Amino acid sequence: MRLPSYLPSLFLLMLLFLGPVTRAQVVKATIKGQVQTASDGQPLPGATVGVPQLGIGDITDGKGFYSFGLPAGDYTLQVTFIGYETISRQITVNSSSQTINFSLQDAGNVLQEVVVEANTLRQKLNTPRMSVELLTSTEAKLLPALFGEVDLIKTLQLKPGVQSGGEGASGLYVRGGGPDQNLVLLDDAVIYNPAHLFGFFSVFNPDAVRSVELYKGGFPAQFGGRLSSVVDVELNKGNPEKFTATGGLGLISSRLTLEGPMAKDKASFILSGRRTYSDVFTRLLNKANEGSADYSPIPDYYFYDLNGKFNYQLSSKDELTFSSYFGRDFFNFSDNNFKVGFDWGNSMASLRWRHRFNAGAFVTTSVSTSNYQYTIANQIEEFSLRLRSDIQDFTLKTDFNLTLNDRHHLKVGAMATSHSFTIGRLNFGGGDDRFSVSAGNSFRATEFGTYISDDFEVNSLLTLNYGLRFSGFSNKGKNYFGLEPRASAKYNLTETLVLKASFASMMQYIHLVANSGASLPTDVWYPSSPNVKPQRSQQVAVGASKLLGKGKYLLTNEVYYKWMHNQLDFRDGANLFVNDSLENEFLFGKGESYGNELYLEKITGKTTGWIGYTLSWTYRQFEGINDSRKFPNRYDRRHDISVVLLHRLNKRISLTGAFVYGTGNAYSLPVARFAMQDVEGRSASIIPIYSERNSFRLAAYHRLDLGMVLKLRPRRGESDLTFSVYNAYNRRNPYFVYFDQVNEEDDKTPVAFKAKQVSLFPVIPSVTYNFKF
Amino acid sequence: MKQRLFFSYMLLLALLATACDLQKDIEVELPPYEPELVVEGYLEYGKPYRITVLESSSYFDKPEVPLVPDAKAYITFRGRRIELHYQPHADQVHNKYYTHRSDEVMRGRPGDVYTLEVSDDRGRKVTAVTTILPHVPIDTIEWRFNTREEALLLTSFQDDPDRANYYRYVVHRDSVERASAREIVTDDGLTNGQLVTLGGGYNYAKNDTLIISLYHIEEKYHDFLRSTSDAKSSNGNPFAQPSRIKSTVEGGIGVFTNLVYDRKMIIIK
Repeated sequence: MRLPSYLPSLFLLMLLFLGPVTRAQVVKATIKGQVQTASDGQPLPGATVGVPQLGIGDITDGKGFYSFGLPAGDYTLQVTFIGYETISRQITVNSSSQTINFSLQDAGNVLQEVVVEANTLRQKLNTPRMSVELLTSTEAKLLPALFGEVDLIKTLQLKPGVQSGGEGASGLYVRGGGPDQNLVLLDDAVIYNPAHLFGFFSVFNPDAVRSVELYKGGFPAQFGGRLSSVVDVELNKGNPEKFTATGGLGLISSRLTLEGPMAKDKASFILSGRRTYSDVFTRLLNKANEGSADYSPIPDYYFYDLNGKFNYQLSSKDELTFSSYFGRDFFNFSDNNFKVGFDWGNSMASLRWRHRFNAGAFVTTSVSTSNYQYTIANQIEEFSLRLRSDIQDFTLKTDFNLTLNDRHHLKVGAMATSHSFTIGRLNFGGGDDRFSVSAGNSFRATEFGTYISDDFEVNSLLTLNYGLRFSGFSNKGKNYFGLEPRASAKYNLTETLVLKASFASMMQYIHLVANSGASLPTDVWYPSSPNVKPQRSQQVAVGASKLLGKGKYLLTNEVYYKWMHNQLDFRDGANLFVNDSLENEFLFGKGESYGNELYLEKITGKTTGWIGYTLSWTYRQFEGINDSRKFPNRYDRRHDISVVLLHRLNKRISLTGAFVYGTGNAYSLPVARFAMQDVEGRSASIIPIYSERNSFRLAAYHRLDLGMVLKLRPRRGESDLTFSVYNAYNRRNPYFVYFDQVNEEDDKTPVAFKAKQVSLFPVIPSVTYNFKF
Repeated sequence: MKQRLFFSYMLLLALLATACDLQKDIEVELPPYEPELVVEGYLEYGKPYRITVLESSSYFDKPEVPLVPDAKAYITFRGRRIELHYQPHADQVHNKYYTHRSDEVMRGRPGDVYTLEVSDDRGRKVTAVTTILPHVPIDTIEWRFNTREEALLLTSFQDDPDRANYYRYVVHRDSVERASAREIVTDDGLTNGQLVTLGGGYNYAKNDTLIISLYHIEEKYHDFLRSTSDAKSSNGNPFAQPSRIKSTVEGGIGVFTNLVYDRKMIIIK
């Protein structure tokens, strides 16, 4: 299955030779601009802008921007997006570039009949980008969700090439990479631990988020710092026209969003908050049982997050945006002589200034700060323990977009980040100095990246993108530098068949110290150092897209191969929690992953949805693990299928369903056992013996979720009830397997051993009330 | 601390799993397994040489004591090779079971080296070396009461700054023949050269009789104890990365070490 490394070069070379002999069509001008909603001025990512008669167009990016070339002439430009009225506009193209912005009218509500022309998929076919998934909050809200908590990150797990970390988990495992290899950006600022509640929910409130763009490969040169994916999350802009309140009451949390204008046509704001409330009930339960000898109090747990965004139009050419996020999880427990508090969370703030020089050039400059921290505070009488880890960043970034001529669109930029790491800062104290113990490490490091890339329309059939990123990292006097070439190509073989290819080299200078399959809050980031080299990867992908059924369906197939170097794992029994010599626990190795992703989608008509199938392999190899032999990654999943269907029954009711099937996770189980008496015979126990890493497979995972959105008819505003049934046929999916000892009833003599499988979630129905006024 | 959080989380999972019948028996097919020799031997000053030699078993084999009658065992000390004869017997006082013994009594001093060799007719051979460690005395034992008259026990000792040290601290109630009430296995990574104080929770009451033992242990015994503890907790923990057993012996599984300890008895008053 290993693809030769020269394959992409050969493919590109072939296309370059083919280019001149194909039908010539001179590109005269670049048409570009931004698509926004008419109601609240929000950028619309994923909208299609194009000329149906030529099959030429583009899909707007995460910030609503599009760009494509057209020969001179008169055309009908069409803009479409699900849930919005389609716009058609006559334009005349001459030799100069044009900037055309669009404002799409909401079609009434997301359930209303929307006329979307069949050429939408044609324009998607023609986009030069590959290995990119785009999801809007509007789409995600239609789909069923665990406990009714809409989660854009989890919805991305339904796309091919993206695996979940386990039952209910929100981590993304993209093309064989780990969740620490995803660059998660919220309005251009990094979010280091995008999970609440041990990874069961992501930190992104669906009311605050506009869209998520996931790059699985073919990374544009402006992104760097992680190996496997870029998760680019864009927050909503405040409504510039009127004040609105949006919210929802759910099974475990409630949300409220306020937005509106601050200065007419100049400034707007949006503030959004979410909080879980299980702690309210557990406190009542604890109080009711106070004094009961048999009752053990339930620990308090809750999380909240707050998002804010302010936009200010300084002039017709300048816009200022301030975005922020603050979220915390809290776990508290106390009894008569014991008290523990555990809190963790992210915070982020960014200020962006966008300046347009002319129709063909603009620059975006931002300063941002990101922080992730956890603190554990423990008090037993006069003894106290406090443990804290954090990472704090300050980043300066600037990106220039320049249209040089009709065929070349240049992007140039640079970023620099100052990182501060505090790792396992422990303070333990008692009544006097004898009990004082302290530990921990602190680092200050600098990271930078600079890039240049060019979108080159060679001719009407062939589009190239090539770029180079130069990055570096400095810590403890050690400097690392990396050259990261990026390239992609698109070639229209026929009117309905497009070939695409990409190559991306990536560097990752910071590493997540995590030895478990879950996103635990105690996972800490660790910088490259004299002994810890940066991670590197190369990924090549080739693909083809074909329009089927008279343009109603788009079938896409992509094959990828990824090489990963300087991968990080840990010695058996490593102490990752409080350890002043953490680097001594690290092991370095390599990884590879390869696979095929098949994707069939339909986005028009009453019934829409997609079918994804991924065939993939992913392995790791480390000196000191598994006798230095190659082993499958825990999330190596040979087959992964997802089927998502949305059916608009009528103007008020929409039905949805999602089915997933995946090969069982690779898992380590003991193969043998021995008895150990220990120094005192009374402490005798059975010790399991593990051999090969991840040599067993859990049972296959499959699940059906069903949902229904019922639009209500309130006197004022809009509202709906969203019903979800998670795991509709109550499948007992494996969460983990363990070996149990069966004892004689009257004494503790073991008589047998047997395997047990534990599942996490049975069928879970839920209902959420959403409103907007 | 981390364990407490983890157990709280696991408790929630267990409650959920139990409440909704989310646990079931399954069939797991294990690969063929070739049993290895398992040796457990602790040398102690003034005590006869006694070890246990058994075999490991495939996990789902019927539980039984897998004796190895043809195993030959020898301890070599100062060039003298002493045979430990196959005499399976139980030490009723300490509730321990031994398979091989010699009447010779261990008289080693700090720095002395003992080697062990165990082999059987199937060609399996286990070897091990242990070096007698110096005695680390308990400096002070004290206890403090909270408002509910529960006592916290604190034990202090001086760590040697010139070497890496590993300790096993055990508290028994009433008798060392009973299972320990508290056990800590630690190193001096954060407390090198300091007066180290180990304790626990407010677990004791007035008039409790406590036996406190401070073992000065070898690094490889420390690693063995950690690895067996990790292996046990991996079985049933969905987040753990299973670890292999770090034996102190070569060619098989198990531990061969020496027990050097200071022990004191107190009555909480």
